[in-house]
Amino acid sequence: MLNILCVCHNGMGTSMLMKINVNNICMENGISATVEACAHGEALGFLMTTDIVLTSPDILEMLPPTDAKIVTTLNLMDKAEVTRLLVDCIKENFPNEIG
Amino acid sequence: MSYILDLLLTQIFGQPFLLLAIVVFIGYIAMKQKVSKAIIGAFKASIGILVMGMGSSALIANFGKLLTVLQNTTGIQGAGLNTYPTMTASYAKMDAVLGEGTGNSWGIYVLLIGFLMNLALVALRKYTKIRAVYLTGNAMIVQVGISTYLVWRFLGTGMIPTILIASFITALYWGIGATLLIKPTKVITGGADLTVAHQQMYVAFAAYKIAPLLGNPEKDDIEKKKLPTSLNFLQDSVLVTLLVMLISTAVIMLVVGKDGVDWLRGADGFNQASYKNPVIFLLWISITLTANIWVLLAGVRMFVGELMMSFKGISEKLLPGAVAGVDCAAIFGFAPKSVVLGLVCGAIGQVIGLLLLLAFKSPIFLVPGFIPLFFDNATVAIFANKFGGWKAAVVLCLCCGIIQILGSMLAVSMMDLTWWQGSADYATIWVGVIGIFKFIGGLFGIPVAG
Repeated sequence: MLNILCVCHNGMGTSMLMKINVNNICMENGISATVEACAHGEALGFLMTTDIVLTSPDILEMLPPTDAKIVTTLNLMDKAEVTRLLVDCIKENFPNEIG
Repeated sequence: MSYILDLLLTQIFGQPFLLLAIVVFIGYIAMKQKVSKAIIGAFKASIGILVMGMGSSALIANFGKLLTVLQNTTGIQGAGLNTYPTMTASYAKMDAVLGEGTGNSWGIYVLLIGFLMNLALVALRKYTKIRAVYLTGNAMIVQVGISTYLVWRFLGTGMIPTILIASFITALYWGIGATLLIKPTKVITGGADLTVAHQQMYVAFAAYKIAPLLGNPEKDDIEKKKLPTSLNFLQDSVLVTLLVMLISTAVIMLVVGKDGVDWLRGADGFNQASYKNPVIFLLWISITLTANIWVLLAGVRMFVGELMMSFKGISEKLLPGAVAGVDCAAIFGFAPKSVVLGLVCGAIGQVIGLLLLLAFKSPIFLVPGFIPLFFDNATVAIFANKFGGWKAAVVLCLCCGIIQILGSMLAVSMMDLTWWQGSADYATIWVGVIGIFKFIGGLFGIPVAG
């Protein structure tokens, strides 16, 4: 079971849409994961239990340091691109988590 | 029979925490998800809406004490600018007349019917020219709350006409605004198939049209320039909310003087006699208000994700060709420097606006909020910079900040709320809409409700 964290500015709109997309991506690709959404200003508490962070490059600069694997893309709404990046990241770092 | 009717209408379909759970449950089932998932989602939505209520009632009560002391000492009426409390304050006004839970349940119906009307407007795009479906659930819930209160307040209508009229004006606002931004959003994102659906759509569209007159987007594109990262802390929503609360509370405490602060400490105020030191008392008030806002946000976050999932699924299934209208922050990654520029210039604009209120001895004073300040000005700056360069962005965000304050002042004076949405559309076109409804209500001699 992976913990994936979607991070945006206020943790309400964009990261919520990302969360919906990532949940669907996980279902379609046989990945078992819990997905959360939050703002970068409150990410610290989540990061301790996060395996993968999904966000944009400008927000990444404002995140506290973390051991989690990072996936960034400019168009966070582009499901095809997010799928490709996320699946690659999981295959590389968590090969046992993907069916 | 009447027992069953009361059970259904009042205790189930009139209770927001159950009504929302039912909506979420149906959404999951319609999207062919497992029943177990649907039940869990429904319960989470229920918990979320109650958590939101706890944050919001504490916030409205606590903030209200500051407004009371300000009014008693100076005669100035105050209001806070923040989206979510405006929705809950509107519902509280309705509940006071119609009974606990009524406002929010009507609002949930407006949300559903408004969304379906938006879909219908897109289905009829040959005639309506509307191509975008508004999917930003966290903004939608606030906007339907305001529309519901607005229609009920000025037209004095009952449940069904209020819901239908409020749904229709909101659906038009959603569909037209998000459609206007399809073309410029495509340019900004380099061809992504989405549009911005938020609460500054019409002002962002105006920025897109005016910006080319104010500068050169090729020569002055801020995204190609170097910018210090030291301003990044201003993008931290928790911190900025606290900062604004700290400054506003300090100003109010200075204005109301020692007697006012003593009243705030006393039994009618916050009832916190132990905070004898004014600085510690100031810190306690500001942090409490920020914490109240965060409880509210945590609640919204718990149910809005469930709602958005249903809406997105239904829209994709029924209207595969529609353009998805998403949160404005979805395009922030494409123009991170414009975001910071917009925030700074918008903040300066809002300060100028507040000084104008003081200079003209306005009977209403406003406390700015992070959401309208940050998200609106960042979005306006992105559109302005892309089509007119950074000079256009500076000018337009300064104007936007001033307009947000002055327009919100007009809105507060007509709506009689202690909170106002405060974002750019709600300080411009919605002020006009409120004015029209007020005029129609007056024309027919309808007494103002709530």
